[in-house]
Amino acid sequence: MSLPLAREDGIIQKINGQFSNNIKQTRIIRRSRPEITVGPEKIREVATFLRNELGFDHANGVSGVDYNREGRFEIVYHISSMDKKDLRDLVLALKESTPRTAPKVPSLVSVWPGVENFERETFEMFGILFEGHPHLEKLFLTDNWDGPPPLRKDIRFPTD
Amino acid sequence: MSAQKPAQQDEDPLEMLAGGISVWVGKLNEIVRRVVDDTPIRNIINWGRIYSMWPVNITTACCSAEFGAASGARHDLERFGVLPLGSLRQSDLIVVEGTITKKMAKRLRMIYDQMAVPRYVIAMGDCAISGGLFHDSYSIVNGAHEFLPVDVYVPGCPPRPEALEQAIIMLQEKIRHSKVYSQG
Amino acid sequence: MTVPEKPLPVVAMEAAQAAQSGPQTLTVSVGPQHSGSGHMRLIVELDGDVIVNASPDPGYVHRGIEKICELRNIIKNIPVIERPAIIDSSNLNHAYINAIEELQGVDPPIRAKYLRSLLNEMNRIMSHLYWLSIFGVFLGHTTMFMWPLGDRELFIDLAEQLTGARITHSYIVPGGVRRDLPPGFAEEAVKRTEYFEKRLGEYDKIFFNNPLFTSRSKGVGILPRQDAIALGCTGPTLRGSGVDVDLRKDEPYGAYAKLDFDVPTRKECDSYSRAYVRMDEMRESCKLIRQIVKDIPAGPIRRKAPIVLPRGEAYGRVESARGECSFYLIGEGGDKPYRARFITGSYRNMAAIPVLLRGGHLADMPTAWWSVDYWPVEADR
Repeated sequence: MSLPLAREDGIIQKINGQFSNNIKQTRIIRRSRPEITVGPEKIREVATFLRNELGFDHANGVSGVDYNREGRFEIVYHISSMDKKDLRDLVLALKESTPRTAPKVPSLVSVWPGVENFERETFEMFGILFEGHPHLEKLFLTDNWDGPPPLRKDIRFPTD
Repeated sequence: MSAQKPAQQDEDPLEMLAGGISVWVGKLNEIVRRVVDDTPIRNIINWGRIYSMWPVNITTACCSAEFGAASGARHDLERFGVLPLGSLRQSDLIVVEGTITKKMAKRLRMIYDQMAVPRYVIAMGDCAISGGLFHDSYSIVNGAHEFLPVDVYVPGCPPRPEALEQAIIMLQEKIRHSKVYSQG
Repeated sequence: MTVPEKPLPVVAMEAAQAAQSGPQTLTVSVGPQHSGSGHMRLIVELDGDVIVNASPDPGYVHRGIEKICELRNIIKNIPVIERPAIIDSSNLNHAYINAIEELQGVDPPIRAKYLRSLLNEMNRIMSHLYWLSIFGVFLGHTTMFMWPLGDRELFIDLAEQLTGARITHSYIVPGGVRRDLPPGFAEEAVKRTEYFEKRLGEYDKIFFNNPLFTSRSKGVGILPRQDAIALGCTGPTLRGSGVDVDLRKDEPYGAYAKLDFDVPTRKECDSYSRAYVRMDEMRESCKLIRQIVKDIPAGPIRRKAPIVLPRGEAYGRVESARGECSFYLIGEGGDKPYRARFITGSYRNMAAIPVLLRGGHLADMPTAWWSVDYWPVEADR
């Protein structure tokens, strides 16, 4: 099992080597899907390291997940690389958690400019504030929905 | 039509003339309407309306793919006179294609209000009839009839282009048998 | 929330008043009722005729699909997630099923993989032809509106013979596909793709070599290579800027590992190169369709898969006509997803639209932004 996952192990070791105490958890779901969890206060440094040293030059997407039974929101950045041909199929999930009552995390627009629209959408769907985001306002819901952020688990709809 | 002048107003001859003309024009309007609607002139006017129904350049959601295919080479809507040319004021038809979000509903109503009379509405697709596949979504309006007076409903998800052609033919039948001034 | 929400201007008058306090630019809403805009609005700030800033105002077709996916079971979600890019529906379907099968641990039979790739390539051609016809009508070339839509009907007939539906196939299910090839399909497919390749030569003559088109699209809407990568662009938008990323080669799924094809790229980074990449992709798709119907192995088309989404996470992705479509599915053991995060190619390319349009003329706007093939329904989901 270790030989086919040598590439993913190598990446995780380099990250652990740089940020030894600040990585909360690492996991390899399967080949090409490693995952690391950091705290919100360190995520900008980790992201800059990933971009500059390991070559992850763009983000595929940003997802917010509402773990309401655990009282937290989780924000997952899926990042990948285009310039490094051997990393093109690898998608690294960079996760961070923030408490559900006062959700606030730093924005990574300065690291990967493509996450701007994704972070705006996560803000309007979950109510998570991204500090340092240039235009943190509604993207899709401007005239569509006036209530609380709709993708939270406590917002129920008639057929539920 | 004839204004009741209050007793204390001065008898201005120009105003009396204007009042008289407005009464005369109003009566002429009634005569024209009666003549047009009860004689073969109605058929000529309706014939003109039926064979040049121009829809507005607005697409609502995914049924627009089948509207595009219907305007294309194999199912050609132009042979019915349906061409998306011209501006809002020159269009007669809104085809509400697909799911209507609240954001788009506001604009659709604005567009409908700006169109010149007579104007017709075709609700295309299940989503425009009742919300369809997305009926339990938080951001949609369940059906075009909530804010527009619909003339023809076309079921389907999406309706085939042949169904849209049948809808146009049904609308043409409806107009052929309706009065010229039914919408004002 | 303490962040104040700035309402976006509804009509151009309000927008002009909003902009009057700053530098003297005119704000124009190229809005949903426009013959060159599609179902979205672009708020364009003009200095004379030059675009200073253009920001898309999406959300006119936002139906809350991610919330709907949490309310329905995984099979009932298939028609829902197909609808965003309805002209390219089987690619989105395939991305969803990739994620589900990864969680369930189901591997479909090899014949099913070939059939999935066959439908994917037909959908790629159908989507590119629809894009091409709307490109024609945006620029006023009505012959280019009619011809691709007519040729598209050839492939819609094939898709209807295979799956029963014109564009919303719902053909790919967990464990395999729903129907097998009907008799006579292979000969029909070969005949039609050979005819279509001749037609592509005729499109070159009337449109791509037409000086009226080349003067409007060469050098217009430049997206530099580094910007395209940093913004996360994907699909032909990225390949028109010289980056040869294609998931069918980088992370093969379906039957692509066994098939022989090229990934067309161009280096000029302008609207013409993005448009021509799609023409070359259609040629490659015809080659792929012929290979598939010739080499398809015999066997079953469907393996039994439970209607249950086990606990875990999966990230399934697919190269759709507009770029990479990806599903991040989190299951919790029931038959409904806990979270179905859905990102499409157009949503990622939306970040490139302001960069493309800045500095250009307003008259170049339809060429530049439609060459990105931004399909608003797909971006809004």
